[in-house]
Amino acid sequence: MIISEYMRNEHRECDELFADTEKSVIDGDFTKAEEQFLLFADKTLTHFKKEEESLFPTFEELTGNTEGPTRVMRFEHEQVRGLLGKMAESVENKETDAYLSLAESMMILLQQHNMKEEQMLYAMCDRMMPQEIKEKTLSTMKVIEL
Amino acid sequence: MFNQGGLSLEQAPPFLVVLRFFITATTFGLLLGISLLAYGSELFYIDYTTQITLIHILAIGVMASFMFGALFQMLPVIAGVVIQTPTKKAMLILALLTTGLITQLLTFNSNISLLYAVSAFLLGGGLLHATTIMIRRLVKIADHSTSSKGMLLALIGFSLAILLGIYLLLSLGGYVDATFLIQAKEAHYSFALFGWVALLIVSISFQVVEMFYVTPKYPTLLSNYLPLTLFSLLVLKTVLIFSSINTQMVDGLLAILFIIYAGFTLHRLYKRKRPTSDATVWFWRLGMGLLIITMLLFLADTTVGTDASLKFVSYFTFIGFALSIVFAMMYKIVPFLTWFHLSNQGYIEAPMMHEVIHPKKAKNHFAIHVTTLLLWGLTAFFSQFYILASLMVIISFGWLLYHLIYAMKKYNHTQKHTKKMEW
Ligand SMILES: [Fe+2]
Ligand SMILES: [Fe+2]
Repeated sequence: MIISEYMRNEHRECDELFADTEKSVIDGDFTKAEEQFLLFADKTLTHFKKEEESLFPTFEELTGNTEGPTRVMRFEHEQVRGLLGKMAESVENKETDAYLSLAESMMILLQQHNMKEEQMLYAMCDRMMPQEIKEKTLSTMKVIEL
Repeated sequence: MFNQGGLSLEQAPPFLVVLRFFITATTFGLLLGISLLAYGSELFYIDYTTQITLIHILAIGVMASFMFGALFQMLPVIAGVVIQTPTKKAMLILALLTTGLITQLLTFNSNISLLYAVSAFLLGGGLLHATTIMIRRLVKIADHSTSSKGMLLALIGFSLAILLGIYLLLSLGGYVDATFLIQAKEAHYSFALFGWVALLIVSISFQVVEMFYVTPKYPTLLSNYLPLTLFSLLVLKTVLIFSSINTQMVDGLLAILFIIYAGFTLHRLYKRKRPTSDATVWFWRLGMGLLIITMLLFLADTTVGTDASLKFVSYFTFIGFALSIVFAMMYKIVPFLTWFHLSNQGYIEAPMMHEVIHPKKAKNHFAIHVTTLLLWGLTAFFSQFYILASLMVIISFGWLLYHLIYAMKKYNHTQKHTKKMEW
């Protein structure tokens, strides 16, 4: 379960940062919100990079399938990236209403994405990958930076 | 949970089809309010025909339409179920549901024997067609999500309610022997209310509460075993009903389990990570509170017995529970899906969620909804509030209908008049 554990933990960390940002926006503290948002975006994008450059290719190699689950996941990453850009803009322009609206979409999008990964993809990785490959993938992911 | 070779949304029916289910449901809600006014409080309290007419407008016209719409949309996304030619199937189901229900209402109010058979065929057949399509897909999936097993059981529960309903219609029409009429009626209600509506809400919440409000997970013990336990108890209850054995123990257990579930859900919501408390959070809280009240009244009724007024209160708290959750879902998924589908199709100016239905509108609806419920509470004891309470039903569904139509217009407008980026 080492893959699930590590990745799930990253999802939780992103959730925390997201909630912090939203709280600051509601309080009207945009200086703080901007800092927190950057942390959130950074963490999320790094996590995506770990998946796209290490975990997904390993999974695809093992299953011989590049059209399946990972394709859906990559597509959803693109949607999240698009929203991140818009959210950054609204934080910069101090638009509370727009930010909260985008945040709402982002949360639903991200949560259903994470749920699919946690309940299916990571679980499959932990089940199928031999221990050494799991450990190798994990150590590769740990050093990936944006 | 994943579909081979395609994005889950490609298998979902177009958004407008789903929206049509929701609009149909809300229109039946308006019809419910109008019928309440038309029948008046005298008939409402004593006339059996009036009661079953109103119950079926609510249970099928409103609830089943909402839930089928939601299931068509959610099965591909949260359970990974692929339904081929979704538009064709969805439209056929919607047509059968609407015409079947209207025939059934005419049947109740005219008592023409032939109509009983026609409505059993149209409504029963249409609804069974819908449940079997979904059940057949759900049975096949290999990796179940936290919600999908419960959804499957709820659909089986609904199918049993429908079969019992067909039997009831045919025996009322004089086509089959009516020996088990009373037992079948009781089992019909218990599967429809608990085995379908409540069980579906329970199952969906295991995934949706966490997803929409970023809450801690439900304990696995609960999400893994509660749906099956509830379902088994309902089957046991039916066996007891048909063997004329007292169902008190089973009823008590059911009530306690629902209270435990509602308690856990309230606790999840309390522990949620996001600071915002939008109206949909309040709809969930209210819904869970009403479920607890319903079950306490139900417990009181099975143990010491309650009077007619309290029984009446327990009916409308249950209805209030189901509608609160439906409204909570509408104000989240309609704005989200409008944005999501449009931005997936590449529309750069896809409206944001707030532009589709602003959270303030949901807040207003929450106030309307609470007022409606309070007035029905008063009506249980003072019948002079009946007209006002009925009017509020019209206002409540009217409010939602307006915003659903607005969302549909916004969707159509964006597709027709804004620029599209090709992926
Ligand atoms: Fe991902
Ligand atoms: Fe992930």
